[in-house]
Amino acid sequence: MFLTRSEYDRGVNTFSPEGRLFQVEYAIEAIKLGTTAIGIRTNEGVILAVEKRVSSSLLVADSIEKILEIDSHVACAMSGHTADSRTMIEHARVEAQSHTFTYDEPIPVESVTQAVCDLALRFGEAADGQESTMSRPFGVALLIAGVDEKGPQLYHTDPSGTFWRYEAKAIGAGSEGAQTELQEKYHKDISMLDAELLALKVLKQVMEEKLSNTNVQLAKVTQENGYQIYTKEELQEVISRM
Amino acid sequence: MNFAEMHQPEFAQAPATERHSHGRWEPYVDNGGTSLAIAGSDYVVVASDARQSNGYIINSRYSPKAFQLTNNVILATSGYAADAKRLVEVLEQNSQMYFHKHEKPMSTTATAQMLSNTLYGRRFFPYYVFPILAGLDTEGRGAVFAYDPVGNMERVVYRAFGSAAALVQPFLDSAVGFKNQRNADATRLLDREQALKIAIDAFTGAAERDIHTGDWLDIYIVDGNGVQHQKRELKHD
Amino acid sequence: MDSITLKVPHTTERPAEITNYGPTTHISQPSVTGTSVVAFKYKDGIIMATDCLASYGSMARFRNETRMISVGNNTLVGMSGDTGDFQHMKHTLENLLTHEYDMDDGQNMGTRSIYKYISNIMYGRRSKIDPLWNSYVVAGVENGESFLGFVDYYGTTYQSPTIATGFGAYLAQPILRKYVEGHEDELTEEEAVRILDDCMRVLYYRDGRSFNKLRRAKVTAEGVEISEPYPLDTNWTIANYVVGYGS
Repeated sequence: MFLTRSEYDRGVNTFSPEGRLFQVEYAIEAIKLGTTAIGIRTNEGVILAVEKRVSSSLLVADSIEKILEIDSHVACAMSGHTADSRTMIEHARVEAQSHTFTYDEPIPVESVTQAVCDLALRFGEAADGQESTMSRPFGVALLIAGVDEKGPQLYHTDPSGTFWRYEAKAIGAGSEGAQTELQEKYHKDISMLDAELLALKVLKQVMEEKLSNTNVQLAKVTQENGYQIYTKEELQEVISRM
Repeated sequence: MNFAEMHQPEFAQAPATERHSHGRWEPYVDNGGTSLAIAGSDYVVVASDARQSNGYIINSRYSPKAFQLTNNVILATSGYAADAKRLVEVLEQNSQMYFHKHEKPMSTTATAQMLSNTLYGRRFFPYYVFPILAGLDTEGRGAVFAYDPVGNMERVVYRAFGSAAALVQPFLDSAVGFKNQRNADATRLLDREQALKIAIDAFTGAAERDIHTGDWLDIYIVDGNGVQHQKRELKHD
Repeated sequence: MDSITLKVPHTTERPAEITNYGPTTHISQPSVTGTSVVAFKYKDGIIMATDCLASYGSMARFRNETRMISVGNNTLVGMSGDTGDFQHMKHTLENLLTHEYDMDDGQNMGTRSIYKYISNIMYGRRSKIDPLWNSYVVAGVENGESFLGFVDYYGTTYQSPTIATGFGAYLAQPILRKYVEGHEDELTEEEAVRILDDCMRVLYYRDGRSFNKLRRAKVTAEGVEISEPYPLDTNWTIANYVVGYGS
C-alpha cells in the first residue's frame, strides 16, 4: 500500500485512480497502532473491555479513560487517536440528549451510531453552506454498546464513516489475534459472567504488560441498569475468576 | 361579547378597511369546532365535528379537523384552522422523517413530546390551536394528551376542547370521570361501546346549543387492530 | 422664528416607540378592491361569477376589470379584495407555470396543486404579518371529479360545494345553500346559470360596491370558459316600497 503512495494521498478528499481515499485508509491504519478494545454482546447486555498502556510507574492509570458514557443506555470504547473521539462522543451525547428532549424516549443505539458516523466524513474543505469540522479524517475507531427496545447491541465504527453490527468485536493493535480468539470462544448463549471473563482473557493474550486491575477497564450495558463501569474491586473480582 | 358587537355584522370586504386600518391586523381567527377524546384500557375514541365557521358564517359543512398521523396516532384540533392545518403538516413531516431516520414508526408518547416542543417552538407567535393527541401507549393502553397552544402538555383519560368545550367537558366529567358522585368508581375505564355512545351524545348535545359545532362528526377508534374511521351526521342547520 | 417643516402628503411619522421597538409589521390597507366571488358545483363541473368593478373606496374606479383567471389547463381562479395584490398573485402563478412549462415533461399543473400553492402563499404572507388582501376561490375538474376550494388572507382554507366571498357570504350563500347544496350532481347548466344570475342580482341590489356588468365562468372536463361581460335584467320599481334601512 505504501509503495503506491502518489500525489493522490495529499488531498484528503481526492480519489486515487483505483477509487481509493488514501487518507481514510491511513486513518484506518492508525487504529492498528492503538490499544486493544473488545466488545461482546450477550442476551442480557454488552461487555466492553479496553487495555490501558501505563507506560510509566509515575503515570496515574486512572487518568486514562477509554470507555465513556454516551447516554445512560449507551457506552463507547475506543482505539486509535483517542483525542479524536472527543468530538464524536460530544456529538453522540448531544444527539442522545436532543432525542430524549424531543421524543421523551431513549435514542435507539443504531441511531447514535449513525449520528457518529455522519461526522466521520466531514473533513477537508467545506462544501457550500456546510461546516467542516476537521482538516483530516478521524483517527479513531469506536465500539458502541447499548440497549434499546431491540435488545443489547454492539456496533463498530471506523474512520470511513461505515458501521457494522457485531456479536463480538476487537479493535486496536491486538485486534487480529483477539478477533480470532473471540470467533472461537463466542457463542450466542454466552452469559454476562462468561462474557466478562472472555473479554479479559482475550485481552490478556494480546497485551504486552501483565493484566491487572489498573491496566484494563471493564464496563457493561444491561437492560436493567444501563451503563456501568467496573470499580477496581469489581474488576479484581473478575480477574480473580480467570 | 356584548350586545352591540353581536349585532354588528362583520363585513369581509370594504368595511374591513375601517376595522383594521387603525391598530394591528390580527393574524388569527377562531374557526370554531369541537374535538374530544376518551381513553380506554386498550382503545381510544376521538371525535371531532367537521363544521368550519367564521363568526356567524358557516364556511364549510365538511372540513375535517381530526387527522391520522402515523399508523396509530390521531391529532384532533380546534381553534384557528389555518394554523391547525400547518401544525398537522409539520407533525406529519416530522413523523415521516423519524420513520426514515430510526426505521420505526414514532410512538404515541414520542409524538406527544414532539408536539409539545413544536408548539413551544412558536411560543412568541403561537399556533392558535388546542390539540388533543390520541393513540395507544407502548403497553397498548389508550393514551390521550391535551395541550394548550404554547405546548403545555397533560396526559388525561378524557378531554374536550373547542367552541363547545364548556358544554362537553362538564358532561364528560360526569359521564366518564364520575366526578363527585357518591359510590361511583371514578377510576374505572369505559368499554368502547360506552365511550363511543358518550362521544356521540356529547356532540348531539353540543350541536344543539353551540352554533359553531355541527354538520358532521368524524370518529376515529384506535385499538390493537389499527385505526377505524367513521363519519356520522350531526344537526345540519 | 421657528423653522418650517415640510411633510410629504399622506406620510405620517411613526412615533419613536413604535419605530424602535416591537415586531416589524407591514400592514397596508386594501385600496382598489373587487367585491364578491360566487361559485358552486353543478352537474358538469363548477360555475363562477364576478362583476367587472374595481372600487377605490366608495368610488367605482375601474369598470372593466376581470377578477377571474384561468390557470393551467383546467383551473379557474376567482378573486375578491385588493386588485394590486391580485396582480402580484397572477405574476407569481405565471412564474410557477412558466417553470412548469420549461420542464417540458407534458405534466399539467393540477387544480389541487394550484390551490395548495396559493394557500401556502396566503398563509406564508399572513405569518409574516404582511397579508395579501384577497380571498381566492379555486375551481377545477380533475379525473372526472370537481374541486372547489377557498382561501383568504388568514390562510384559512376550506372546500365546499358552494362558496361565496365578501358580501356574497351573507347574501348569496343562503340562496346557494337552499338551491344547490345536496343537488350538485343533478343541476344542469341552465339551472346553474339561473341560480348564479339570481345570486348576482341580489348582490347587485344590496351590495353598494357591486356593478351590473359581470362575467360568468365555468370549468368542466372540457376546460375553462370565461364569458364576455354581460348585464343582468333588474327591476327597481319595488325600490319605492322599501322603507327603513336608511332608504
